Amino acid sequence: MSTTLSYTLVITGAPWASQAPQTALAFARAAIAGGHRLDRVFLYGEGVHLASSLCAPPSDEPHWPQQWSDFLSDNQIPAVACVASALRRGLVDEREQNRYQLPAHNLRNPFEIAGLGEWVDGTLKSDRVMYFHGSA
Amino acid sequence: MTTLIVIDQAPYGSWAGREALDMVFSLAAFDQPAALLFTGVGVNWLRTAQSAKGVGQKTVEKNLSAAPLFGVEKIFAEQEACERFMPDTSSRLAGIDLVASVKNLMTQYDHVVFAG
Repeated sequence: MSTTLSYTLVITGAPWASQAPQTALAFARAAIAGGHRLDRVFLYGEGVHLASSLCAPPSDEPHWPQQWSDFLSDNQIPAVACVASALRRGLVDEREQNRYQLPAHNLRNPFEIAGLGEWVDGTLKSDRVMYFHGSA
Repeated sequence: MTTLIVIDQAPYGSWAGREALDMVFSLAAFDQPAALLFTGVGVNWLRTAQSAKGVGQKTVEKNLSAAPLFGVEKIFAEQEACERFMPDTSSRLAGIDLVASVKNLMTQYDHVVFAG
């Protein structure tokens, strides 16, 4: 009997304000190393800050957005930031920049912006949905 | 697949509760069975006659009253927390199912999600 599982990871805690992105990355790496599959990473609420291309921490500190981007690209895992959460918090791609006539866009590659339907899809298709929250 | 969204934070302090409400509305929009549970200080969402103008927000009471219209199947509240925070039953919204055991309720759902 196969024990391989598929996962959707939901991150709601922001980098540096919480340990959620770091813990989720450790889980994601362990899951892939264990032969499991990640269907999607979904950023919600404060978690959307992980997809900002404008984070620039000191060079001797961990760069969680960069580490997540590298992991997602290396493993070809889709990652989505919720559009409503993202717009509230100043995270936009070029399309939303144009739509709202904003002065810049700052969505980090390979993240995409989409709706909660992506999360609903994850709850229906993945074997497990894991949540990484920022607050107790 | 059935989902229970749990709100355990008081309204107005952060947007986490409102965003949890968006999750339950989204499930309902995709015809997925979904319900809400308010626990601990989260039961303060269920007060009647809320006035949020003082904090520059819209009342969450209106959002909640729309839940049945959007297809949210049930709104539950932890009985003990309601008795603690709203001993006067007339100050609670109508149509709420009180639950004595949160644990037992959670076991009835495939998927339980806490507000972030």
